[in-house]
Amino acid sequence: MPPAPDALFQIANPVALLGWLALALSPLAPRLTQMVAGLAIPLALAVLYAALILAHWSTAPGGFGSLSQVMALFTSPPVALAGWVHYLAFDMLVGAWIARTAARESISHLLVLPCLALTFLFGPIGFLAFSTLRALSRHPGAVA
Amino acid sequence: MTIALSRPDPLSRLWHDAPGYTWLGLLLVAALVPLTAALILDGRMFQGDPVWQKPLKFHVALSVYLLTLAVYARFMPDAMRPRRWRIFGGVIIAAILFEVLWIGAAAALGTASHFNESSVVWIALYAMAGIGAVTLTSASLAMGISIARNRETGLPPALHLSLWLGLVLTFVLTVIVAGTLSANGTHLVGMAPTGAQVPILGWSREVGDLRVAHFLATHALHAVPLAGLAASRLLPARQATLAVIAASLGYSALVLGTFAQALAGQPLI
Repeated sequence: MPPAPDALFQIANPVALLGWLALALSPLAPRLTQMVAGLAIPLALAVLYAALILAHWSTAPGGFGSLSQVMALFTSPPVALAGWVHYLAFDMLVGAWIARTAARESISHLLVLPCLALTFLFGPIGFLAFSTLRALSRHPGAVA
Repeated sequence: MTIALSRPDPLSRLWHDAPGYTWLGLLLVAALVPLTAALILDGRMFQGDPVWQKPLKFHVALSVYLLTLAVYARFMPDAMRPRRWRIFGGVIIAAILFEVLWIGAAAALGTASHFNESSVVWIALYAMAGIGAVTLTSASLAMGISIARNRETGLPPALHLSLWLGLVLTFVLTVIVAGTLSANGTHLVGMAPTGAQVPILGWSREVGDLRVAHFLATHALHAVPLAGLAASRLLPARQATLAVIAASLGYSALVLGTFAQALAGQPLI
């Protein structure tokens, strides 16, 4: 029997958490953090995503054409899991980019931390927050 | 590429001699990772086997084929590297990509690739795949002829002979066996009562299986040069050449013997 979607969910989440922990502590080991959260974990999640799509896409209901089709798509547990893994992988890539960009532009990590937390929980809001922080940091007389 | 060339990397030679074949060969190897994950996650079966087993086998087989050709490419004359050869290489790569995408798509849909006559589209795709299969096999014929013409390989004569004979035999024997296999409508000759198989290779242990001869025919490009390598190390030049000719005849007899055995409805073992 292939592993159940629930079991895979239980594995994928702690793996992603590990990556976010590394990002939170990224000033301690920036290069290692980028290797783990910017490459290794997203690649592992991408393999899982690819396998789920290969295995389940052709038999899934719904599609991309309308909101109700997308909702129908997510009624299939393995496809919903694939969607979740997609969030985990791409949110982490954005998190790694934030850590990298902040380090390059000497933005205080204390200010970056809430952006990482927002990216972890609500992806695009974290991106919005960090972009704002970045714009403000560039301004002459900025606190950061 | 520059990185690969700057260190003593065995791949750098392959990149240099046959960039297209090396590129696609390594791409097919990389694709084994998601395909293996799909094999683990997908519970669907097709004709008694997991649906992703066939794409995996074809990826392994075609990457071995491409990387073997990339290794042998160094023995082609330098004059064989102009535009015409690059266009031919591009056609081979397109044929192989078509083959793996077709087999992978059929697996994703849980249906047959070869012998699929369920709709006009699948019939058309199977016909195109047949043309693609002959095309991709012709890469070994073309390389065999080109190596045969090259008088400056620096190889012992027996090894040189075995190299191009193996490549040409791969084409000739595979086209004979696979053409018959395709016309047969299924790889089995006879009804298999339980479906017992040889491990990994999956050949029937109960009835004739034409894939045995297909497998051996396609591996002539390994078997004959291996015999040539042994002969050129162990024997004086004259006898080594005779040994290569004998090995080629013997290997062809083995292929045709297993072919006849399968056609008679008998399993290999």
